[in-house]
Amino acid sequence: MRACKALIRHCRFYPIDSVLSLGVIALINWVLWASVSWIVQAADWSVVSTHLPLFATGSYPPDQRWRPLLWISLLAALTLITLIVPIKRGSNRWMGMVLPWCWVSMIPLGLVLMAGGLGLSNVPSRAWGGISLTLLLTVCSAVLALPFGILLALGRTSDLPVLRHSSRLYIDVMRAVPLIAVLFFGKLLIPLFLPMQLEINQVLRAVVAFALFAAAYVAEDVRGGLQAIPQTQREAAAVLGLSPLQSLQLVVLPQALRIAIPALTNQAIGLLQNTSLMALLGLVELLGIGRNLLANPAFIGRHLEVYVWLGALYWLFCTAMALLARKIEHSGPTLNGRSA
Amino acid sequence: MKGTRRWLLQLAVVVLLLTLMGVLINNLAVNLIRTGLGLSFSWLSRPTGFALAEHALPYRPSDSYAWALLVGWINSLKVISAGLVAATTLGVLAGSARRSTNPLLRGLAALYVSVVRQIPLLLQLFFWYFVALLGLPQSNPSPLGSLFSLTNQGIAILGVHLSVEFTAVLLGLSVFTGASIAEVVRGGLDSVPRGQWEAYRSLGLSERLGLRKVVLPQALPAILPGLSSQYLNLAKNSTLAIAVGYSDLYSVSDTSITQTGRAIEGFLLLLLSFLLLNLLINAVMQVLNRAVIRRGQRS
Repeated sequence: MRACKALIRHCRFYPIDSVLSLGVIALINWVLWASVSWIVQAADWSVVSTHLPLFATGSYPPDQRWRPLLWISLLAALTLITLIVPIKRGSNRWMGMVLPWCWVSMIPLGLVLMAGGLGLSNVPSRAWGGISLTLLLTVCSAVLALPFGILLALGRTSDLPVLRHSSRLYIDVMRAVPLIAVLFFGKLLIPLFLPMQLEINQVLRAVVAFALFAAAYVAEDVRGGLQAIPQTQREAAAVLGLSPLQSLQLVVLPQALRIAIPALTNQAIGLLQNTSLMALLGLVELLGIGRNLLANPAFIGRHLEVYVWLGALYWLFCTAMALLARKIEHSGPTLNGRSA
Repeated sequence: MKGTRRWLLQLAVVVLLLTLMGVLINNLAVNLIRTGLGLSFSWLSRPTGFALAEHALPYRPSDSYAWALLVGWINSLKVISAGLVAATTLGVLAGSARRSTNPLLRGLAALYVSVVRQIPLLLQLFFWYFVALLGLPQSNPSPLGSLFSLTNQGIAILGVHLSVEFTAVLLGLSVFTGASIAEVVRGGLDSVPRGQWEAYRSLGLSERLGLRKVVLPQALPAILPGLSSQYLNLAKNSTLAIAVGYSDLYSVSDTSITQTGRAIEGFLLLLLSFLLLNLLINAVMQVLNRAVIRRGQRS
């Protein structure tokens, strides 16, 4: 309503615009009408609705499907709780302390649920797929990439020449190559660089390649954060008698990481989108499932339905991540020590 | 005392890195001997035996791998340079639209950015190729006749024929990168103080003239660094062309590696080509950057 009023006011000032705006409004209406009528009438959603378990879990054994489904639902629930519950210091302290640990525990939980162990039967990684694989790839690579990226950033800003130059070389080379080449390299060459006896599965290879790649980007974002910390902070820490390591751990890094959160969020969202590249390299994650379905002659001409569905899912995941990051960014102390 | 510790620490890092590399290279050598491969680049002069759908230079399957890679490199350059122009145009338009006085335009631009940036490029490429372009009719009689035709065989504009694969990659890259560039442009516009906008409006300049003469020149120094990183992203993302069968550098390398089994050599060549491409884009952007800074100092 407010937008309408603003538009009317705007058009009063710019008469030519009002003609154009009317045209655009007509166009938008037409597009909206066409899309809605396609979604409701013309589209045949059976290709999606009959394969919902496939999209969620891939070719996971049907009697064990509850495991990836449980993990996805726990993640969804945790996301909702984190978004709804206000985390402010003082109020709701309990939630602020428990939620981070819930998030951390989701990773081992996901691995156990997917792979088996602790009384659950083993499911080989080639049976993993769909949304559960997409999320697992994202979470595992992000968790590996973050510490490695922080180390690289510290090396890049170190005053020791050897550390600085080797980190810089790694970061620059990694940022120069396209991801798909790194993934291809990982798929083909990681086995060549390892002793013959050691064989690692394809999901792990992909995770390693994603993490090695993402770490270079994380390093640059963290470096931006490190550079934003005034030198006086380190000096103040030194005056208080903190060792360089303590100063880094207690004073510099927490602030630098907080500054880097928006950029790191973008990297995480990029990572989730990039897991779709594995569809080209033989893993059936979310996009791979869509591709496999469309290769089935029974679903010829159902491309648009599948792509719209996949697009909506990816959009949902990425938006949820962006919202989560905004929540983290706005909770806790800022640089000035005030609560945002 | 502190100096010795610094040296010891660096020495430790060097030893660690060398050991790591030694172990990796040793494993590699063992594995290469085991598979009977060894390192060699002589395969580059052998005939490829595969056809390339698109080639700016004359190319036959009897030509060498080196030639095929060059043809692929030119195909990559073609789609990257066209993509840079299209993405920049789209990004600047959408980015400026987000700060337009027209709420409708603002809303449309915001919708474009928020939808496109949250969907993987690969999915978008599939959409452009399989739905938008291959979904076109076989023949599409248009009133413009020979000037412009749009069919599932490709696009013809004034006698220039663009293949469906090329068009799909171009559309995908420019729409996707355009959204990111729009964010960069918006950030740059926001870095110009509000007073400057109010000043040109109170001087009676039109929105378009004010944007061009007052705001953009001041926003450019903030926009250019972000822009060049988006350009590098576009160049790297162009390798996804393999998904729709456009024979770019990566796709040719991929086929060559699969046929010859020369993964390490192929990967090294790919790495070199991309380092070269990055240096090229960086150099161009640096020249631009300097020109902008110099202009800013003069005025």
